[in-house]
Parts: sequence; C-alpha cells; structure tokens
Amino acid sequence: MNDRERRDFQAGLEAEVDAFMRGEPSRRTFIKRFGQMTGMLALSGPMLATMTDWAVAQQKLELADPSSPLGQAQALAMKASTEGPADGSAFRAVEAAKQFAGVTLNHTYEAGLQALDPRNFSGPMWEQLTGIKSNVVELSNPDQYSKAVAEHIAGSGAYDVLDISPAWTPSLADGGVIAPLDDYIAKYMNPADFEDYHPLYKALPTYKGKIWGFFDDGDIFALYYRKDIFEDPKNQEAYQAKFNAKLEAPKTWAEYNQIAQFITDQMAPKVYGAGHFRKAGSPGNQFDFLQQYRANGGKLFDENMKAGIASEAGVKTLESMLASNAASIPGNNELDAVSLWAAFLTGKVAMIYSWPPSGRMAGNYSQSATAINFIPQSQIAGKVGYAVVPGNPEHATGYNKALSADSPNPEAAYLFMQWVCSPPVSLARVMLPYALRDPYRISHFKSDLYAQLFPGAKDYLVNLNNSANVGLLDPIMPGAQDYFLSIDRMCTAVWAGADPKASLETAAKEWDETTDRLGVDSQKAFYTEFLKLPGATADNTVEKLGMAVKI
Amino acid sequence: MSNFSLRQMTSAGAPLPLSGVAQWTERHFKWILVGPAVLLIVALSIYPLAFSLVVSFINYDFQIPGHAFVGLKNFERVIFDPVARWSLVLTAGLSGVSVAVEFMLGLAVALTMVRSFPGRGLIMSILIVPLFISPVIVGQAWTLLLQRPFGPTNYVLSQLLGYEVTIGWLTESPWLYISLIIADVWQWTPFMFVILLAGLTSIPPNLYEAAELDGVNAWQAFWAITLPHLAPMMLLAITFRLLDAIRMFDTIFIMTGGGPGTQTYTASYYLYTIGFTQFHLSQATAGSWLFLIVTALVVTLLVRRLLRAEVN
Repeated sequence: MNDRERRDFQAGLEAEVDAFMRGEPSRRTFIKRFGQMTGMLALSGPMLATMTDWAVAQQKLELADPSSPLGQAQALAMKASTEGPADGSAFRAVEAAKQFAGVTLNHTYEAGLQALDPRNFSGPMWEQLTGIKSNVVELSNPDQYSKAVAEHIAGSGAYDVLDISPAWTPSLADGGVIAPLDDYIAKYMNPADFEDYHPLYKALPTYKGKIWGFFDDGDIFALYYRKDIFEDPKNQEAYQAKFNAKLEAPKTWAEYNQIAQFITDQMAPKVYGAGHFRKAGSPGNQFDFLQQYRANGGKLFDENMKAGIASEAGVKTLESMLASNAASIPGNNELDAVSLWAAFLTGKVAMIYSWPPSGRMAGNYSQSATAINFIPQSQIAGKVGYAVVPGNPEHATGYNKALSADSPNPEAAYLFMQWVCSPPVSLARVMLPYALRDPYRISHFKSDLYAQLFPGAKDYLVNLNNSANVGLLDPIMPGAQDYFLSIDRMCTAVWAGADPKASLETAAKEWDETTDRLGVDSQKAFYTEFLKLPGATADNTVEKLGMAVKI
Repeated sequence: MSNFSLRQMTSAGAPLPLSGVAQWTERHFKWILVGPAVLLIVALSIYPLAFSLVVSFINYDFQIPGHAFVGLKNFERVIFDPVARWSLVLTAGLSGVSVAVEFMLGLAVALTMVRSFPGRGLIMSILIVPLFISPVIVGQAWTLLLQRPFGPTNYVLSQLLGYEVTIGWLTESPWLYISLIIADVWQWTPFMFVILLAGLTSIPPNLYEAAELDGVNAWQAFWAITLPHLAPMMLLAITFRLLDAIRMFDTIFIMTGGGPGTQTYTASYYLYTIGFTQFHLSQATAGSWLFLIVTALVVTLLVRRLLRAEVN
C-alpha cells in the first residue's frame, strides 16, 4: 500500500467510524429496511390470499355429456333455476339471490371427494346463475364441528354455510352457532319441497320446534350381496340340504351369520361370506352395534338416563357381531370402509353392508370419475343384489346444511342452501359419480334419470327407499361423539379377545360419565326430543308409524 | 454513507441538533431492535402457554356452553382416567424400546460405515432416506405392508416358513406393538446412525494407532477408546430421540387408530382424542400440562446427565 492509498483508506475508515459513532446511517438503514420489510409483509398478505384463492378456486362449471342421464339431470337443474316453475324453490332462490351478486359465500365441506361437488358443479353453477361466488373450506369430519364452534366463539364470521352431522344440531343450535331458517323458509321456499323429503330425513334438522337446516345426504346402510353366488344352483342345493332353507338375502342376523359361514366354508379362499369395516376409529363398529342392538330390542338409556347397553341385548349383539367376524374374510377386523369396498369390488367377499356409494361403485358408475380412481374397477358389475340390512339399517350420520349464525351474508347463504337442496338441483348432485352425496328425496328414489345411471340402479333406489322406511337414526344429542367412541373402543377390545360382558360394562360406565359431565337432566331432555323422531328406535320406524314410502 | 464527518462536527463546535422523534429513537433504539422479536415470542409462545394454563382451570368444552372456573377438575379427570394412566405407561414402554433398538442398530450401522469402502456414499444416502419421509406416510406404507387381507407380509412369511402365517399385525397383541416399533425403528434408526457416525469420525485416529501398537484387540479398543469418546454423542442422540419418541402419534393414528380398545393409546393420541374427537378442550389442555411436567422431569434428568458427560 503506498502513501496515497493509505491516506485514502484512513479517510474512508474515518468517515465510516464517524458515521457509525453517530449511528445515523445504520439507523437509517435499519429503519429503511424495517419499513421495507413491513411493507413487504403488508403486501404479502393480499398477494398470498390472491394466490391461495387462485389455487383453491372453484373450477369451471363441469357438466356431463348432455345426452347422458347425469347431463340431462344437470340441464333440468339449470332449467328449473332459470325458467321455473316460478313457484319452484330453485327458481325463487336464484331470482332473490341476484341482488347479492358479487358477494362470496364460505362453505365448510368435508375434505376430499365431498368437496368436489361445490368446487366443480354446484358452486360454479350458482355463480353463473346469481353472480355469488363460493369459497369451499375443506375440513376433516370432526373439524366441521370444532372449527364452526371455534369461529363462533371468536365471532369471526368466517363461514356462511355449514355442513354438519345431524347429531350436532342440538349442540350447535343451543350454542348459538347456527341460525333457524323458519323465517326465510316462510319467505322463499315452496312448502311442497318439504313433502318431497323421505320421512326418515324430513324431521332431522328440526329441533325444539324450529328448522335448523336442510337435510342433504341419505347415508342409509344397505346390504349388497353377490347374486351370482346366491343364485348358483350348486350353492342353492348345498344350502337347502344343510339348513333346509332357501339361499337368499338374509332377513335376520342369525341368517346373515349362517349364510356368511356357509359361503366361506364352500368357497374360501376364493370368496368369503362377508366383510365388515371393523378397524378401530373407522365408524363401522359404532354403526353396526347401534343398528343390531336396537333391532335386538336394546334401549340406549333407561328412564334415569343410565346407559342401557350393558344388557342382554348388548351381549346378544356383540356375540352376533363376533360370529359375523368369524365367518368373514381374514383381516376383517383391520378393514376400513375403503378397503372393505376394495374387497367387495374385487370379488373377495359375497356380502357387505355399507353406505349407498357401495352400489354405485359395484355398478362401476363411480369409477367413471377420475377423482375416485383409487377405488378398484368393479369385477362384480351386474352381479350385485340389493337388500335391506337384517333387522333395521342404520342411517349412518348423513349431512345437514346449516346457516352459520355469524354469517355476514345470511340471506344469500340461506338462498344458496335452498337452491342447492331443491329437488332438481339436489337430484343432479346425488347423481354426480364422485360426490358421495346419496339420494334422500322421494323424487330422487323415483327418478327415471337416476335409474338409468347403471344396470340395476332402479332396484338400488328402491332398496335405499325401503331401507329408509325401516332405518334407525344415530342418536342426535350432545355427547354423541363420546358415546360413539366408547362403542368403538368396546367393540375393538372384544374383537381382540376381551370379555363382551365386561367390555359392555366398561362402555356403559363411560356413557354414564359422559351423561354426568353434560348434565343428566339436560341429556334427558335431549334424548326425549330424539325419541320423538321417526327412526329413533326399532319400535317407531317410518314403517311402524305408517309413513312408509312405496315406490 | 454520510459525508458529514466527526472532524467537521467537532470543528463546528456542536453536535447536530436532533428532532424529538430522533431523540426518542436514540434513547429507545435497543428496544426498537429487540421489540419485534419479543412481540413475536410473546404472541406465538407466551400468550398461548398462558392461555392454555387458564383454559385448564375453566370449562372450555365445545359441548358445554360457558367458561366457568372449575378449579382442578380437569386435572382430576385426567389423573383418575385409567386410559390416561395406561397411555403414559405405553408411551414410556414404546418410546423406551423403540429408542433402545434404534440406538443399537444405529451404532452397529455407524461402526460399519465409519470405514471407507466402495459404494459407501450411495449406501449412506439410501440409509437416511426414511428420515425425510413424513411419519404419516411411513404409517401408511407399513399399514399397506401389514394389513390383512391385502398386505403381503403374511404371504411372504408363509412362503419363507413353509406354513400358513395368519398374524394380525395391527389388531393382535403383542404383534401390534411390534409393528409400531418396527415402523418407528425403520424411520428413526438413520437419525441415530448419522449422529453416532459424526461422533465416531471425530475420535482421533492416533488413539487407535497407539492402541494397536500396544497390542489392544478390537473389542478392547471399542470399550477403552470408542465408547468413552462416543458417550456424549450417544447421550445426545438418545436424549433427542427420546424427546421425539414420547410424542409418538402419527403412525398410531394411521396404523391402529389407538385400538384395539385403547391398547395403543399413547399420551399424544390420548390427548388428541380427548381434545379433537370428544372436544373436551380444557381436559385435553390440563392433560397436556401434566404430560409436559412428566416430560420436563425426564428431560431435566437427561440433560443433566448429558452436561455431566460433557464436563467429564
């Protein structure tokens, strides 16, 4: 370094040190950068929101081939919304909703396949008709309850339309999370649309004399069996010789177990008699126990709200379920609903009872949608018979559409609910191959278009209707999830070798603890309300009340 | 950079006059610097922690309206719940066995891989792949392998053993525990391996050369040189892994769903069920605090031991 360079260096250093001593440039830099950072943060919010909106935005309206049954149903839904009849709920909802063009409705939906309906079909169609946008918030099933409550506590107004299990209605209504619809219904809805609900489902959103939503998913269990195996002369002959009875769809649980064991003995390992979704946490255990227990005459609670499950009917139910397990495919107790479908569709089991998509999958209709291609192609299409589950089938959860009490756009939200659940629009929705929404209106069960969806669809619809006629509802009361969890734990413990009687007593103790925690009197009031519903017990099914729908 | 130098200021006889805002900034500059970080910590850590403490003493249940003060009721419910006690025992057992197996395997692999050989880099890369996989995916993969009737495990075993194997890997005791441990060991043994390998490579090679000159055999060298030098790293790896293992949740959620019964409820799974299946948030929060206390005791013990080992 020469002298000149040294001088320059010293001068530069001096300037630096002076500036540092004053703190001026570094502070300025800091403030400047802090300002930049804050500005960027402020900008990043809307930028991210825009990107997220774009990423999860609803798709373009996805319509089926207009000549297909689904395409025709979609065209009819559109026509009913735009041309009328003028007193139709769909038309009236669309006309009234046009004043809200530009607003965005936030809907909660179960994540996955369920959410494809509002994303690909009903959301875009509603926007096209009214200018109201839809934002679909996908949540897991338990979060559909907990998030709705949490947002209500926070008063955020995050949701407008809630998809809820009917069992949650009393808690959410009493908690102020959902709003009654009576005034809106009086103002906008065609009352005839209510009469179109199957009687099992009609009263589900009613609580304390008010209507808290629209029922929107007929999740009734039904029996799906292999007609080709049942009608095989060799099997017919052998069964007749062994049991002196005709081999046909079982009407009692004893018959069910006997037939399952017979087919397993005759055909395993190629085909097993039955399969069930019994994995811990999969809801098959609770639904199966509840339907068989009540069909066996069991009462859920006595007059003092003490759990009734540790009873003779309880033991009989568990013993029957154990016999079913023994006659089933190996690994029966490890199956969830999807793997049970896989076993049935690949021809490994002769009988299953499950939700309505089972029939659409067996007919290879659902698999026409790429979204559902994780389900194997059906190797049993055309070979499946439909029957009512022995005793009484469970209506396994279902969905209500409810109006969030904190919605910033309650009227627009209500009008969407009315439109989407109206007969023509809901028909098009329950016909979507991927959506997992199942028929629930009488007009759905009678639909000629639906009957053309796949061979045997007509019989399938008739069977769903007949199943609903004798169907049982899940208990609709606070703590339902606690009661269900205890049943699931009890059942899986029994499958693993625990004593049925002792397990029933443990579960009954847990039920009593739940009831005590929530308040005996309060729970008794809820249970009394529940017992008024058609389908609450095997003694007051729709059929026994003389309200059965004949198709 | 300013061209206004200290020399010029001094020659002018007085410092530059500062505005009111500038003076305030001057006085509080250190607080301005740390403020955002403190705010962030308070918002993201302190506030939730304090709020959770409040929640554990009130009713915060999505099924029971209101937030009445309930004293120690939520803690009582957890302490007297047999499922909670069992979940703690299972957590200790599963994490203890998993970490022990992972440690033994990790040490064995690290000792094998410490020497250079052809293909070592490739094998090491493959060995650590499970570390980067989400535990949910690991659980799903093992479920697909073990779940009857579709999983191939029983078929493969039947072919190898010459008789039909019908083990219920996910539903029968003790196989379900073995399955959970296998899944955990598969994923986390590489963690042990990586840490222990780092420890092994840091041992000075001249120690082994000197030992060899003294006629020490491999076993003696392991006991006298490797083990003492590796001990702090071993304790570090075990501590870290144990802290993670006691939070075991994902694989259980996917593989067994906590069942059969409550046989595979770990503490985390128990708390999840109480909070997010049954919506008893205040009870779950009280349980989390109890679990935190137990964990803190274990951590304190381990960390003290770790520090002592480092000092030695």
